[in-house]
Amino acid sequence: MMKFSKIAASVAFLSVGVSAGALHAQTAEVLHWWTSGSEQAALGEIRKAFEAKGGTWVDTPIAGGGNARAAAVNRMLGGDPAAVFQFSIGQQLRELADQGLLANVGDVATAENWDEKLPPLIVKAAKYDGNYIAAPINIHGENWMFYNTAVLEEAGIEVPKTWDDLIAAAEKLKAAGITPIGLGGQPWQERIMFNSVLLGVAGREFYAELYSTLDDDLLKSDTMRKVFETFAALKPFVDEASPGRNWNEATNMVAKGEAAFQFMGDWAKGEIIAAGIEPGTTVGCAFAPAIDTAYIMTVDAFAFSAMDGEDATPAQTLMAQVMLEPDVQIAFNKKKGSIPARLDVPADSFDVCAQTAIKTLQDKKTHLVSTGLFGVPSAVSGAIDDTISNFWNSADMSPEEGQAQFQQAISYAK
Amino acid sequence: MALIPAMTITIVCFYGFIIWTFVISLTRSRLLPVYKFTGFEQYVRLFANERWWTAMQNLAIHGFLFIGGCVVFGYFLAILIDRGVKAEGMFRTLFMLPLSMSFIVTGVIWQWVMNPGLGLQEAVRALGWTGFEFNWIVRPDRSIYTLAIAGIWQQVGLCMALFLAGLRNIDPNIWKASRVDGIPVWRVYLHIITPMMRTVFFTVFILMSAIVMKAFDLVVALTGGGPGFSSDLPARFVVDHILNRQELGLGAAGAFVLLCTVIAVISPYIYFELKKERGGRGH
Repeated sequence: MMKFSKIAASVAFLSVGVSAGALHAQTAEVLHWWTSGSEQAALGEIRKAFEAKGGTWVDTPIAGGGNARAAAVNRMLGGDPAAVFQFSIGQQLRELADQGLLANVGDVATAENWDEKLPPLIVKAAKYDGNYIAAPINIHGENWMFYNTAVLEEAGIEVPKTWDDLIAAAEKLKAAGITPIGLGGQPWQERIMFNSVLLGVAGREFYAELYSTLDDDLLKSDTMRKVFETFAALKPFVDEASPGRNWNEATNMVAKGEAAFQFMGDWAKGEIIAAGIEPGTTVGCAFAPAIDTAYIMTVDAFAFSAMDGEDATPAQTLMAQVMLEPDVQIAFNKKKGSIPARLDVPADSFDVCAQTAIKTLQDKKTHLVSTGLFGVPSAVSGAIDDTISNFWNSADMSPEEGQAQFQQAISYAK
Repeated sequence: MALIPAMTITIVCFYGFIIWTFVISLTRSRLLPVYKFTGFEQYVRLFANERWWTAMQNLAIHGFLFIGGCVVFGYFLAILIDRGVKAEGMFRTLFMLPLSMSFIVTGVIWQWVMNPGLGLQEAVRALGWTGFEFNWIVRPDRSIYTLAIAGIWQQVGLCMALFLAGLRNIDPNIWKASRVDGIPVWRVYLHIITPMMRTVFFTVFILMSAIVMKAFDLVVALTGGGPGFSSDLPARFVVDHILNRQELGLGAAGAFVLLCTVIAVISPYIYFELKKERGGRGH
């Protein structure tokens, strides 16, 4: 009750804060790596809402996630932190909290009941010592399959439901002179495709257990070998120029009908829209083939630096509150191509793909974490990318060897 | 006295941070430096890492090809120009132009040229020679050579300029004497001029070695270390692990091993060169 009144008081304080000198107290510097057009537009929605509530937003964009994360940490260590900074949630963020560098926004979270509204896996990753140290603002899905409907129709192919179907379809397409899979040959993109195969062949329970325990027995299992065999079977279906290609170029191949499928996160929708296509029409979206339904989530989040002790400043509190407001969540996520981190936000104004995702996530069994930024420690994440990419690009490596290297690299990294 | 600021900077920033890097490499630091010592565990992890060994092997291949290529082509171009071509100024400028571009720009240009879908391969095929293949950049077993090609293209001008300066310093009387003796031009270059140019070769070698050791931006722009990690170099490995993977300890271990390798490879050469030089001056 104490906490609630404190919040009520601070919210009341904030809402009248528009007048006079209180403005100064609500200045927040926001450090982030969202520099592309759609990302800026999305972030602009949060900024607008923050400023409408009387906040002053000082924008510090730094291109590149790695650079921005390094800059945020360096400034914190140097004693001049940005009040709000974009970061991944999970182990790295907890390491910062360990050193007392973060403020917690537990009060807002309690008042707004984040525990109930966010997916449990995200709640867990955003908390330290029982308190929220970050505001997760969206969910991107990584196990999407985008496909060109015209190309599939012409080749007489149904949208594949299993990886065996997909391989059969790919053979047909290749014979017809179309690149079956538009792949950007960069380690993280190859990993996204691998994780889709893993989920599709081994099922969601195996996926969840594998990446939460990193258990040797699972890594060495026959199921895992089947995954590597299926993944290897896809090698002939990408074009020669794939290595090094950017993801958006691969998306454009699908949009133009040069390639039939792309396995990519839902941010590809932004590129499809930019090509003048409404997602779900000429370019369709479906979950990558799988034996059961699941959603591999990756999360964008903002964390809060300790400015003056571990309690959030009024500006930080206001920011956290604004970021998870239902209206802001809708406006932000429609521009970003993701879905709201809050699962209780009405879905009807989103595109078909996003609606499917929101509906799917109502069942908690479908929740899975990506190995990219928040599911596993970053050392393991890096080891996964390295070995998968090496396996994918080594024509003469057998699935058994690939599996053995994968297991070894993970056991050294964990 | 005047040297004190410079000396302080060198000692703190250079030797100080080398020691600090070594200390960090003995800890379990991940995102932030923490001083929980674990002995040589990071080195064990490093040496078990396949990507590290690929990177080290690539450094050897790239170093050999890049330095060798720069020396051979640079010297050859310098000789051609020194023989008195017409429009010497134009050729000199032409060969020096790539140098005005950063490695990033160089990398991007060659990435386009070597991309099998839109570069040289596609262009030659469009001319009718459909069997033409130049796809090294997408082949894991060849991608490392593309680095040397782009690197030589960029640096050969500098080497040429250095060699040319050296050639211009040769006493013209040597040429007159050799002409009187009737020695063929190529033999004069091979047996008389080249040995006289030893200090220039030494300068070029040191300059190019430094470029090889810190090669980072070229890989990032040209191949991104790919396909897979087939064209990775140690400097990129280190930066990647420290900045992107929050593996401070492992990255520091890599940096330290790299430093030791450099010292082991370069120092005997520098030692012999300097010793010879001193001896040469003696008599």
